Amino acid sequence: MLAYAVRRLAYGFLVVLGVLGLLFALFFVYADPHDMARRAVGEKASPGVLDDWIKQHGYDRPKLEQLRDHYWKMLTFDFGRSDLDDVPIARRLREGAGPSLVFTVPAFAIGLLLAIQLSLFVAYFRDSYIDRTILLIAVLEMSVSILLYIIGGQFLIGKILNWFPISGFDPDPALIPRFIAMPVLIYSLAGVGGDVRFYRTVFIEEMNRDYVRTARAKGAGDGRVMLRHVLRNSMIPILTNVVTAIPFLFMGSLLIESFFGIPGLGAVTVDAVQANDFSTLRVVVYIDALLFIVFQIVTDFTYTLADPRVRFE
Amino acid sequence: MRRGRWLPAMSAALAIAACSNSPYPSSDDGIKVRYIPLGEAPKTLDPAVSYSALDHAIIANVYDTLLEYHYLERPYTLIPGLAEAVPEAQRRADGRVAYHFRVRPGMRFERDPCFAPDAPEPTDREIVASDFAFALMRIADPTVISPVVATFSKVVGFEEFAKRLVARRDADPNFAAQHIDRQYAAAGGIDGLIVHGRYELEVVLREPYPQLLYWFAMPFTAPVPWEAIAYYDGDGGRPFFKEHPVASGPFRLARYEKHSRIVLERNPNWYGALHPEWRAPGAIYPSDGEPGDAEKGLLQPEYVGRPLPFLDRIEFRLDKEDIASFNKFLQGYYDASGIIQESFDRAVQNGGLSPAMAARGMSLAKSVEPAIFYIGFNMKDPVVGASGGDRARKLRQAMSLAVDAVEFKRIFNNGRDVPAMSPIPPGIFGYDESYTNPYRKLDPDRARALLAEAGYPGGIDPKTRRPLHLTFDAGSPDTRSRLRYEFFIDEWRGIGIDVELAAQNYNAFQEKVRRGAYQIYMWGWIADYPDPENFLFLLWGPNANAVNPGAPNTSNFADPRFDALFLAMKNMPNGPERMQIIAEMRAILERERPWIELLHSESYALYHGWLHNVKPAGLSLPTGKYGDVDPELRRERREQWNRPIVWPAWALVAAFALVVTPGIVTFFRERQ
Amino acid sequence: MEGYVVSNAVVGALVAGAAYTVRAVRRSRQWSQAFRELGRRRPIALCAIAFYVALGLADSVAWIDASATGIAAYEPSSLVDRLFPAEFQERSYSAPFAFEEFYGGAGLRHPGQHWLGTDIRGRDVLHMALKGARVALLLGGLTSLIVIPLALFFGMSAGYFGGRIDEAVFFAISLLSSIPTLLLLIALIVALGRGPVQVCFAMGVTSWVGFSRVIRGETLKLRELDYVAAARALGASDARILLRHILPNVMHLVVITFVLLFSGMVLTEAVLAFLGIGLDGSWGQMIDQARDELARDPIVYWNILAAFAALFFLILSVNRVGDAIRDILDPRTVRENV
Repeated sequence: MLAYAVRRLAYGFLVVLGVLGLLFALFFVYADPHDMARRAVGEKASPGVLDDWIKQHGYDRPKLEQLRDHYWKMLTFDFGRSDLDDVPIARRLREGAGPSLVFTVPAFAIGLLLAIQLSLFVAYFRDSYIDRTILLIAVLEMSVSILLYIIGGQFLIGKILNWFPISGFDPDPALIPRFIAMPVLIYSLAGVGGDVRFYRTVFIEEMNRDYVRTARAKGAGDGRVMLRHVLRNSMIPILTNVVTAIPFLFMGSLLIESFFGIPGLGAVTVDAVQANDFSTLRVVVYIDALLFIVFQIVTDFTYTLADPRVRFE
Repeated sequence: MRRGRWLPAMSAALAIAACSNSPYPSSDDGIKVRYIPLGEAPKTLDPAVSYSALDHAIIANVYDTLLEYHYLERPYTLIPGLAEAVPEAQRRADGRVAYHFRVRPGMRFERDPCFAPDAPEPTDREIVASDFAFALMRIADPTVISPVVATFSKVVGFEEFAKRLVARRDADPNFAAQHIDRQYAAAGGIDGLIVHGRYELEVVLREPYPQLLYWFAMPFTAPVPWEAIAYYDGDGGRPFFKEHPVASGPFRLARYEKHSRIVLERNPNWYGALHPEWRAPGAIYPSDGEPGDAEKGLLQPEYVGRPLPFLDRIEFRLDKEDIASFNKFLQGYYDASGIIQESFDRAVQNGGLSPAMAARGMSLAKSVEPAIFYIGFNMKDPVVGASGGDRARKLRQAMSLAVDAVEFKRIFNNGRDVPAMSPIPPGIFGYDESYTNPYRKLDPDRARALLAEAGYPGGIDPKTRRPLHLTFDAGSPDTRSRLRYEFFIDEWRGIGIDVELAAQNYNAFQEKVRRGAYQIYMWGWIADYPDPENFLFLLWGPNANAVNPGAPNTSNFADPRFDALFLAMKNMPNGPERMQIIAEMRAILERERPWIELLHSESYALYHGWLHNVKPAGLSLPTGKYGDVDPELRRERREQWNRPIVWPAWALVAAFALVVTPGIVTFFRERQ
Repeated sequence: MEGYVVSNAVVGALVAGAAYTVRAVRRSRQWSQAFRELGRRRPIALCAIAFYVALGLADSVAWIDASATGIAAYEPSSLVDRLFPAEFQERSYSAPFAFEEFYGGAGLRHPGQHWLGTDIRGRDVLHMALKGARVALLLGGLTSLIVIPLALFFGMSAGYFGGRIDEAVFFAISLLSSIPTLLLLIALIVALGRGPVQVCFAMGVTSWVGFSRVIRGETLKLRELDYVAAARALGASDARILLRHILPNVMHLVVITFVLLFSGMVLTEAVLAFLGIGLDGSWGQMIDQARDELARDPIVYWNILAAFAALFFLILSVNRVGDAIRDILDPRTVRENV
């Protein structure tokens, strides 16, 4: 077990190194330091000033030295300052994490609960007209672009029905519910279709197992069977799904934060992309990849713990 | 299953409890606060660097300057702000010109920890003349990267100071570790900025430049305490100076979250608050203005002569989507707004406010901005530029005749804006209402004739035997801009020319400009100050980008006669002689067509009934201190306009139950 | 060579390829049975897809109209373009079937003939919606052309040869799947440029990973089968075994995945269009242009409705067909139904 753990961690570390290398290739091989300087400093600056900026940010050094620096900085979490406005990137990340989590966590929780309930419901009534109708609705729902959910939702709920502010955010706890209500609603509902289909398959597979038939034959009530046995034993794939989704909770949703004016990590990413702020962009992507790898490892471990029969090469 | 149903019900209840579309806490309802939307995060609040209208909207309220513009009078006139009077130019024997400013004694900077970092409470200090000199020395300092170095280079000794400063820093690494004011002092200061005593500042220019006084109404020349520069260096958890102003204006920065909101509050240390007995022109509401101001409600007796400011707080909220912010305006959550293209017909009908908007108590203010939008040709390009000679000139004239600015503004700007005939907009001396540019009206037949004369019959390039191929370089790739570029491309297609759009972002575009790799582009310019020199200099030869990288003459237009006339008129006082020279310059532009002048933008602003004393201004004016709100009226109207419509929620729940119940019932029945 | 000539040639090649595939399917009992079953289960969705494909092909066949005037005399027009009259563009907005402009009430050049109205520049919305089909199919087709061979190559190599190659491929898969897809897409497109080929390449690079993993798993299983071992013992070369024995047996996965990936990619392109880096003329771009129009008063709805409807029905049909194909071809589901 320990050997496996060490190997898995080492492998994960190798992947992190690979990701960093890829990031460097993407951002620094193609980026032009003069471009970046001009973006940060402004148009009217003289060439001498631009050169100063480039020197200050270290973009004039040989590529190999920059690569080494890149690795060292990222691995020691020394994120430096934004190319655009010199604000420490770590501070920006800290400020952005809060607003992102404040809406992704409820959205994810609600979406998950809704999907599981609906899937249990649908799995229970499998092959009936309810099942077929809900599946059809799910496919219809999946086929609509998320853009339309956002645009339509904002238009309908914010403008016509006056339920919640059209966009914006305020960290004041009294005001948070009304700002996140619409993003949470749209974020959780937009993914329900696909989730229902997935969980339905999982539950149906579980329901076909022998022990379920036995329990039913023994006279256990349907509801009890569904909840007690089917749901519990389906926890592994559900858990895998949940753990894999955690990194995305941190990173927020680029689209939703953009449309709803939530100053979270998604907004940080969009700003960095639009401004070609590579120093921030590489940190954001790195953190996201790191979280993903870490939680993958966690998933693998929980798998091993939950089901002792499962072992990986 | 029962457990499962409880959760959605609770969530729905919670959601409805949170139901309110107001972005502000109810505790703000009675406060005199004005809410203003910001389209993007401010880049910097450093007055030496900030040059965008957005940044100025914030800092103009925080940084006061020696001179100001009179709030209501048009044409714009200067009044004293922090200075006691508007100085006259004093010509000297050696050709230099001097201005004497006398700073009012007894004014103080806002309270801030930077003045005494170890003190338990933030302290302040008096504003003295050397603080203004310090601000100007910062502009000269290359590490500050100020965009207006070229303007202030007219001050004697400006560039020399910069050179000495750099030399000292390069020679001795410890030099840069000293406090900034010591560095400047050690480098000898600027020769043309002389401080006499505590309150007198003399500014000496190398040559006459009457427009200099306008720069003293802009934040670039606001006083800056050296302690703030030394203290707010970003180290030790302290913010940068560009995020933490220490100033002396009617408001002070209370909260700076640049990605969501910026809050300004009344500054108790403002000279208007400390010394109301001075009745300083910049601290009381004006008693006269333009004809028509009284009718618009800008000279109400309860405000005239009263001390400023009236507001307690100004809140800027970041709202990137302009449709969302306009809708919030309609809901009463912003006090004033421009009118977005999409909602124009709802707000404006027959040139005036629509009945729906009037019923809500709003008012409409139109003003032509001192701005010009144009399509420019790169005169250094072999095909469309000066080296193409007569042929290229006719091509430019033909292309100018094919562009219909009236149609453009009808489709894209709801018919707003004034079609431009020359670079100078209405409201600036040199604008002639009766002048029509013969090349700025739609005449496709004449255009085709000129094309043929130019050697491109039917638009065909004889060398390739295909339609003449030109490139239109866009400065922004977003969809909205593309649609506008494509409009012009369609017009040129109509006369047979194949213009290709190269869509890229602003930086890539600037790169192309630098390399001279562009033919046609579209750009705009809004006045820094109300003088024709600020527009005509965009076409002055020595300002050509190709000659002087970063200079504003992106067309690289260089006509010797035009350049000579420019030098003659730039320092002239306004009068018939100046007008004549400008007319001749205009005639040259008419013939040569380095630009296709499109529009002078017209801003339509909507104000809610509870907002008072707001007059649109094209230049950056500190308008915050003149405005006022009626919070009770606002609260009332907001409630009235924003009642949530709850019935759809219940309808949805009912519908769901209706759909699902028969299915469940049937299923159970079947199992029996 | 002119662009449209190449495009016509590609269409010809596609049609030829399709004919060949049809012949191959008819010869194989397994495939023709599967196809018939599909036709039985999802007739409407198949017809819809066929319609879109026909549209896409029609828009790809273009040549220069000899009778055109002005610049149009030098530009090729496709079969879809020829469905509409020449000089069809109005000056600005008009409602579906309208006789006058939407704002201002001025007359139209072709009153009553714009079935879905016109956009802000006066272009016919139906025309643009129809042309969008080609862009969507190009996106799906071109990207799959990149994804499928890549995934097959890496997946089969990893599963068949095992050892170092497997480790290397698995490492690459882990690497690419760790970086969030949208960010990787954006980064690639920003680095490579915004042309259609670059966008398709970027989408291909980000999509091959999941599929490759599936192929790898399947190849691992197939490798252990008796007849494969027998073939090895008889001295058949690896390439022959891969091509003859393994590849045909993973084809069903290819078909399933292709269909499922397709809808995902078209939807992702819509998001990219919103960020400004999509393909020209796509429905995503139409949606992006039109999203502000919902705020207009009176409301302009035909633009976004047309784009949305076109996008929705294609994705829905593809999803429905994809589900059905998976049910038919996936041995697991087959087992279940038994």
